[in-house]
Amino acid sequence: MAKQRVVVVGGGLSGLSMTMKLCELGIPVDLVSLVPVKRSHSVCAQGGINSCNDATRQLGDSEWKHFDDTVYGGDFLNHQPPVKEMCEWAPKVIDLMDRLGVTFNRTGEGFLDRRRFGGTLYKRTAFAGATTGQQLLYALDEQVRRWEAEGLVRKFEHYDFTSPIVDDNGACRGVVIQNLHSMEFLALPADAVVVASGGPGLVYGRSTMSVMCNGSAASRCFRAGAKYGNAEFIQVHPTAIPGADKLRLMSESARGEGGRVWVPRRSQDTRDPKLIPESERYYFLEERYPAYMNLVPRDIATREIFDICVNEGLSVDADKMCVYLDLTHIPKAELDRKLGGILDIYQKFQGVDPREVPMKIFPAVHYSMGGLWTDYERSSSGGLVVGSPRNHETNIPNLYAIGECDYHYHGANRLGANSLLSCIFTGLMVGPGIENKLKQSKTAAADLPPAVFQQAVAAAKEQHQAVLQRPSSDQNPYQIHQELGDLMTRAATVVRRNDQLKAAIATVEELEQRANVATVVDTGSWTNQNVIFTKALMDMFPLAKAILWGALQRDECRGAHFKPDFSMPSLTSDTREGRLQEAEQWCDRFQANTDKWLKSTIATLVDGQPKLSYEDIDTSSIPPRPRLYGLVGAEEIETVWKRRAAAKSAQVDPMAARAAAAPAVASL
Amino acid sequence: MTNELTFIQKHEFLLRRIHSLTGLVPVGLYMCVHLITNASILNGVEAFQNAVYAIHSLGNALVFVEWGAIFLPLLFHAIFGVYIAYSGQFNTSSYGTAKNWRYVAQRITGLIAFVFIVSHVAHMHGWFHVGFWEKLMHSLGLAQFRAYNAASTAAMAMQANIVWPILYAIGIAASVFHFANGVWTMGITWGVWISPAAQKRADRICAAIGVGILLIGFSALGGFMTLDAQKAEDIENRMYTESVNTGRVVPNAKKLTNPKLLEEQAGTAKP
Amino acid sequence: MIASNQPSVIKVRVKRQDGPGQAAYWQHFDIPYEENLNIISVLQKIAAKPITRDGQRVAPIAWDCGCLEEVCGSCTMLINGRVRQSCSALIDRLLEDSPSGEVVLEPMSKFPVVRDLVVDRARIFQALKKVKAWVEVDGYFDMGPGPKQSRTQQEAAYPLSECMSCGCCLEACPQYAKVEVIREAGESEEAYRQRVEAANSVAFIGPHAINQAVLFNSNPTGQFKKAERLEALTEPGGIQVCGNAQNCVAVCPKHIPLTTSIAQAGRAVTVHAVKKFFE
Repeated sequence: MAKQRVVVVGGGLSGLSMTMKLCELGIPVDLVSLVPVKRSHSVCAQGGINSCNDATRQLGDSEWKHFDDTVYGGDFLNHQPPVKEMCEWAPKVIDLMDRLGVTFNRTGEGFLDRRRFGGTLYKRTAFAGATTGQQLLYALDEQVRRWEAEGLVRKFEHYDFTSPIVDDNGACRGVVIQNLHSMEFLALPADAVVVASGGPGLVYGRSTMSVMCNGSAASRCFRAGAKYGNAEFIQVHPTAIPGADKLRLMSESARGEGGRVWVPRRSQDTRDPKLIPESERYYFLEERYPAYMNLVPRDIATREIFDICVNEGLSVDADKMCVYLDLTHIPKAELDRKLGGILDIYQKFQGVDPREVPMKIFPAVHYSMGGLWTDYERSSSGGLVVGSPRNHETNIPNLYAIGECDYHYHGANRLGANSLLSCIFTGLMVGPGIENKLKQSKTAAADLPPAVFQQAVAAAKEQHQAVLQRPSSDQNPYQIHQELGDLMTRAATVVRRNDQLKAAIATVEELEQRANVATVVDTGSWTNQNVIFTKALMDMFPLAKAILWGALQRDECRGAHFKPDFSMPSLTSDTREGRLQEAEQWCDRFQANTDKWLKSTIATLVDGQPKLSYEDIDTSSIPPRPRLYGLVGAEEIETVWKRRAAAKSAQVDPMAARAAAAPAVASL
Repeated sequence: MTNELTFIQKHEFLLRRIHSLTGLVPVGLYMCVHLITNASILNGVEAFQNAVYAIHSLGNALVFVEWGAIFLPLLFHAIFGVYIAYSGQFNTSSYGTAKNWRYVAQRITGLIAFVFIVSHVAHMHGWFHVGFWEKLMHSLGLAQFRAYNAASTAAMAMQANIVWPILYAIGIAASVFHFANGVWTMGITWGVWISPAAQKRADRICAAIGVGILLIGFSALGGFMTLDAQKAEDIENRMYTESVNTGRVVPNAKKLTNPKLLEEQAGTAKP
Repeated sequence: MIASNQPSVIKVRVKRQDGPGQAAYWQHFDIPYEENLNIISVLQKIAAKPITRDGQRVAPIAWDCGCLEEVCGSCTMLINGRVRQSCSALIDRLLEDSPSGEVVLEPMSKFPVVRDLVVDRARIFQALKKVKAWVEVDGYFDMGPGPKQSRTQQEAAYPLSECMSCGCCLEACPQYAKVEVIREAGESEEAYRQRVEAANSVAFIGPHAINQAVLFNSNPTGQFKKAERLEALTEPGGIQVCGNAQNCVAVCPKHIPLTTSIAQAGRAVTVHAVKKFFE
């Protein structure tokens, strides 16, 4: 038998941690990436990485609380076993990254310094200046380079993943990739393929994501039959710097370190912001959310900023929507030490010093909670069976998905500084599972008849040629992309309405038709970025449609998915008695909604159209409860809900036992 | 794939470090001593001649010192330096920082200094002390220096043509810059000064040393340009006679402007 | 911030090259002026409508870009003769500084051109391999936290670890010479790569790699491999090639104290070499 190999597609945090872990286990890896892996999008993550730690523990924190915060922040749409496992690993993941040389900020005594992030009351977040993602990525990149020097890793940088190779039994046996310079195709046989290709930001045109985050790898797996989960859950980051080519992230750490969000109380006040007295400033997050203040979870911050600008007309600028994010009350030396990197970015791209003048920011598409559907094996303690080959395997055998491009961990909304954790964690945790998968197999993909791979390459070539040889049309792929981005941003970001979604679906169909005949100006066969972009554009449509359909069908509000027509009302009564009564009804409605909608949306692509089904969620550890950040009457709802929950658990203990015994993932 | 390394590639680190070291010791150090010795002309012909006597008191060992401690290190520093200069690509048009200009200047002044030193040695010594060659050089107006008529021959050599002092002025300036800037870069290369602040402090010290040596060099040059060579020769001849009598110098016709003096000397010595 | 007399078009001159080893040529483009554009936006506009000033329809310009936030290093090129990232090169600022009112884009000159503004920077990563720029941990199992480090240590290491391998320091370094190996007809990708690596292996590693060696030699665990890194620094193409022009530190977009690292490495290799000689 030839040596078994694994192909990893994507060289960000999850791809690299996976590669490094597999190498440690002695498994050779072919690492495929559009860009040199050190330039992957993970470098853009600024704020930090979460874990319960020795200091927070003594304030009552625990892995369980981190788990609870993550699930509560995700509005209970997260399957709980993977989240529980992740939160238990979190302190160990940070310890490992510390050992790998990540330059985490330190306390005076030499421990890792921590900051607070949104959606929690504990200072859980370890950080390295304001470039934590970059620092983590580099540490992994260095380890992978070490394995590359030892001959265990072959890098295929500047290669595009064009499709998984699926055999007659429906199992993945390798990948077809295309060299972005020579445009030549190549088949890599693989006994497991791990897609770690990140998010699909380009579906929204401009976002906080890098230009290679086009979602094409996930989409090509989707086309090949992989299921796609929770597509409609797209996180819009509350604070980004609007730009012509990109919406640049302004990290949540700016608020974590004391940044205050405000607008002038008077609409379009033209005064210099520093001259506006406190009494005439509207610190709307602080007023509306006295417990969390500026550090409410991202979906809420986003919606509030959107609301202030769109509904209340209090945008700072008249011609473009934005609010102030103010750091000017913090000493400069402290800002430079803790946030130097991100403040430099603002200054560099806006030409204004945020240490002197409040920043102007507005929400932008930032992260996809959804992604390729993957399996897992639940342990008896409610976590994962580490080493199980099922963990993170898609419905196509041997094809795995990890990192942002899978649908786990973040539910309906991701907490800040949890993505770096989920990416590194999945890479590390899934490695041993793949090792076991390989052990189970008595064959190696490299021993398959060459025709299997030759056919796959021929098909990819044919598709490529077909795009190159299209008859001339007046359809320009870049123009279509811009239209797609504008449409998706309007219809499927902060606020969603069914009429708009329906219209958007019709328009996306038209755009797809146009993209399918769009002409490539460059028909050459050397470094043809034009044709690569056109192919990636065509692959944005399955994802765009999955997002739109998922959003259209989900008639509720959950995390990042906000439909005002289906929002849960605040309590209106003036008396506590009255509010308690309303709370009863509120809780009834909440329960009904949970019964109906606490399900993952699972899309399968049939003839280019997403077909949706719904999957039950494993909530065996933490029963769902209302997410009540800032809701009027939250106290009363909580009282009622707690009483009901207590009654329920007392009454039906056997049910809890049944839940624990149930298979982790309901069959689909 | 096997990779055949050239000799220079194989020993690049050692060669570069030797190159760096020879720039300071002995070449740079020698230059300083040489310029200071020359500047003793400002204290009079006697002072300078005495200094030269001191050097020549080494007698037959002098040739070994000259070649072993000066010429060979210098040739190595110069030739390897030319190789280094040609391996770089100037780009001050895009990156016009002071440090980058100094990088360029270091290489240009090195080349100038090399040309200057070669011509200076020809001008004064004619390169090789071999009979026919010396005659040839002398007939070309070169090999002008006579150690026992040190000041006068040097002054005459300098005063023979305006071209010489100009060449010397440029040559000395280039050599001194090359030395002072070289000491500064050497300090980085060997890791003596590290932080930008330390490098700046070292820079100031190197600049001060450079200016000091340049002043000394130019003073010597001015001294020889304005020296009355005839008077100087008289003094030197008197000193020679005395010194031979006291056994301080070994008689040597080749080190005299007027070898007849040797015969006269011999005459007076034998009653 | 915007000057009142802005031109109606942005004149862009691009140095193009169809493939490795081919002749370069210039093309001119006029882009309608807008406020707050950067070079990336300009290139995007050209890509959407690749028509030269003379009305000739041409192939879109090939260029690399990634994060557009100046943290990935992809979009490095020569802009008006100087190396920098094109995402952070703002047109308004360039026009202020350019009397000709023209924006000139060229590929980096120290790396082989792949096409147009795309260059092959594999040599950068090869140098990182050479200096063993990693912490040699035993493995990736949970072994507790790393060694405690003082804030001072962290604050010294962090700037060094911000290097994004963009190659600005190498482009501006007068001692860093281009190494280009042209692929022969019929040569396999692997054979070609080996030839490239062999050629690169004796050429200057550059300031970025020296800086990484210093970074890992200062790491409490990384320093266990200090001697090996210092050996690597004295191999052909090592630190000795540095000519102290200090352009690296002047052009580094991350303001990494490269010359301080070079001096530190200089001291370390001096001590190492002397010790080794007498041991």
